[in-house]
Amino acid sequence: MIVKSLTVTNKLGVHARPAGMIVDITAPAQSDVSIIFEGSKANAKSILNVMMLAIPMGSEVKFEVDGADEEEVVQKLEQLFHDNFNEEPC
Amino acid sequence: MTISTKNPASETDSGAEAARLTPRTVLVGVPASPGFALGKVFPIINREVSVVEETIPESRVAAEEQLFLKAVSKTANEIAKIKEISESRTGLQDSLIFSTHLMILKDPGLVNGILDQIKKEHKNACWAVHVVLGGYIERFEKIDSPAMRDKATDLRDLYNRLISAMENSGPVVEELAVGEGVVLVAHEFVPSFLMSLKPGQVSALAMDTGGRTSHVAILARSLQIPAVSGLRNIAALVKPDDTILVDGSGGMVIVNPNDDDVRKFHERQEVFERQRRELFTMRRLEPMTRDGKYITLHANIELPSEAEKVTDFGATGIGLYRSEFLFFRKDVPSQEEQEYAYRQILETMDSCPVTIRTLDAGGDKLVSGISVVNEANPFMGWRSIRVCLDREDVFCTQLRAMLLANTKGNLRILLPMISGLNELRRAKAFINKCRDQLVSEGHEIGKVKVGIMIEVPAAVMLVDLLAKEVDFFSIGTNDLIQFTLAVDRTNELITEMFQPHHPAVLSMIYQTVMAAHRQGIPVAVCGEMSSDPLSVLLLVGLGVDELSMTPWSVMATKKIIRSINFEDVRETALTVLQMDDAESVNAFLTKKYAQTISDLGISSLLGNVGEKQN
Repeated sequence: MIVKSLTVTNKLGVHARPAGMIVDITAPAQSDVSIIFEGSKANAKSILNVMMLAIPMGSEVKFEVDGADEEEVVQKLEQLFHDNFNEEPC
Repeated sequence: MTISTKNPASETDSGAEAARLTPRTVLVGVPASPGFALGKVFPIINREVSVVEETIPESRVAAEEQLFLKAVSKTANEIAKIKEISESRTGLQDSLIFSTHLMILKDPGLVNGILDQIKKEHKNACWAVHVVLGGYIERFEKIDSPAMRDKATDLRDLYNRLISAMENSGPVVEELAVGEGVVLVAHEFVPSFLMSLKPGQVSALAMDTGGRTSHVAILARSLQIPAVSGLRNIAALVKPDDTILVDGSGGMVIVNPNDDDVRKFHERQEVFERQRRELFTMRRLEPMTRDGKYITLHANIELPSEAEKVTDFGATGIGLYRSEFLFFRKDVPSQEEQEYAYRQILETMDSCPVTIRTLDAGGDKLVSGISVVNEANPFMGWRSIRVCLDREDVFCTQLRAMLLANTKGNLRILLPMISGLNELRRAKAFINKCRDQLVSEGHEIGKVKVGIMIEVPAAVMLVDLLAKEVDFFSIGTNDLIQFTLAVDRTNELITEMFQPHHPAVLSMIYQTVMAAHRQGIPVAVCGEMSSDPLSVLLLVGLGVDELSMTPWSVMATKKIIRSINFEDVRETALTVLQMDDAESVNAFLTKKYAQTISDLGISSLLGNVGEKQN
């Protein structure tokens, strides 16, 4: 299992569209993916769960990825966060 | 057990009640979409949905499961259709809302939760949806973030659609016959309902719920329907024959207004309409100061398809196409894909100039397959032209695509992050090499201009030398400010220090302009400064020849330019160049011009400017 901490650096935080982009990566993956924010852990393959965390700009979130393609998933998530979800940064 | 969900408005909808009109009532809400309307109330009564809890025998489980899964696919089809309409009417950005809806329909927590209710708890499908999706709606309503709370509305939209699909009755909107130009009043609107309205059917919207960021507000603005949200109890208050006055710019409605209200309303509406008409008629007027100085106004675009709209907004060219948006995907786009995108822009603009910036990856814009992820100082790292010069394959693919797409000869290639002559000469050598190759392959290559971004202070120090070797300068204000003031604009601790009007920044711009004009080449500004009214005055005064901005800011900027004297803003610019700090500059500009700008009556468009993405 890989545990990866990432920081949300786009201006609007993880709203509907970024949540969708996260799920675009996690849903097709073989690995189980959890997202942890402020002590709440949720299934990162569920857009509703990810949106419900209401993660604001500047937060640190943790991903737990466990499975055959865990490295690829982590790498894609890392890229997505670094790209600020293709939005302008804060 | 039976649950009824219905709109509060339906309770006041009986014939006897409707005869008596509501007394004059002023309600203040949130300005969701600008504009004014006066019309008859048309209450939208969300269809009453009855959900009955049943415990089903094992033999019915499979059938209920199927009922639910069919409802999901029917709803997904409906939404996909609405998404298509939305894309054609308001563009891709707004239709993203519906992509989220489609994703929610596939949410494993939601779908499995509902299936578990049916299979394990032996509940009927309707009840399962009610319990599980209803539970999500409740949780979203409690979230401490207005943007997320607005999502509860989207979930309710899905809820209604799923339940309707299972009851095998059409969605709410198909049952509605809406008269011309009525004001729709509801507890809340769902985005799909709004998209199904035909143009001209509705003059305004008023709703109990929602904020400025809700999807409904965004859609209303795209559709140019005035709207006020967050009115709390309007739906319960109004009756079908009430007259309602909607001020979407101020965020206020008056139910059954008196004569005085109507007179004032007409005055404000007239001003608003006049402002809008005036700006619209200005599209074809020259952006020239009162004493005859012409300022070129161009538009910045991110998507090739935006090129079509640019001239409608009165821009005479594209001042910045950020080509890296083509690269934000899984792999580097091929030469053919790039050529297609560039050709779309260059041919749409015909003889008008189109500035395409070569790949500006890195910093905060990482591109898959090219950028490196862990740099200590990404803004000063391996980015932009540095990447291109190291990755000849990527750079030449892009240059070849640009040159091939340039059939009209209106291409201007803009090289970002140039810090010295060596980089410029190497980049130009690549351009010449690609052109020679294409010519030897038998292609005809149109005229090309090559310019550089002035965004690194070193380039300003060498600006006289650089000016001799390029066709134009384009000042990237964001990076120039960041590097000149040594202020990381992503660092919250020092946001106050990011000052566009800092005398050091203004002096950089002035030196660039002077050097360019000595060589007879033009200077453009394509950063955010070019759509801020006070900055516009300053940039014009400093001698900048071209301003490039988001398309919808062009008309308002044109109006500003047409109201000023070049000699006056020139004097102002030279005065503020001598000032001690940004505060003094801002105070001076505000004192001298704030009134003039507010008198221009472009407030509705300045609202848009303020909303620009940072």
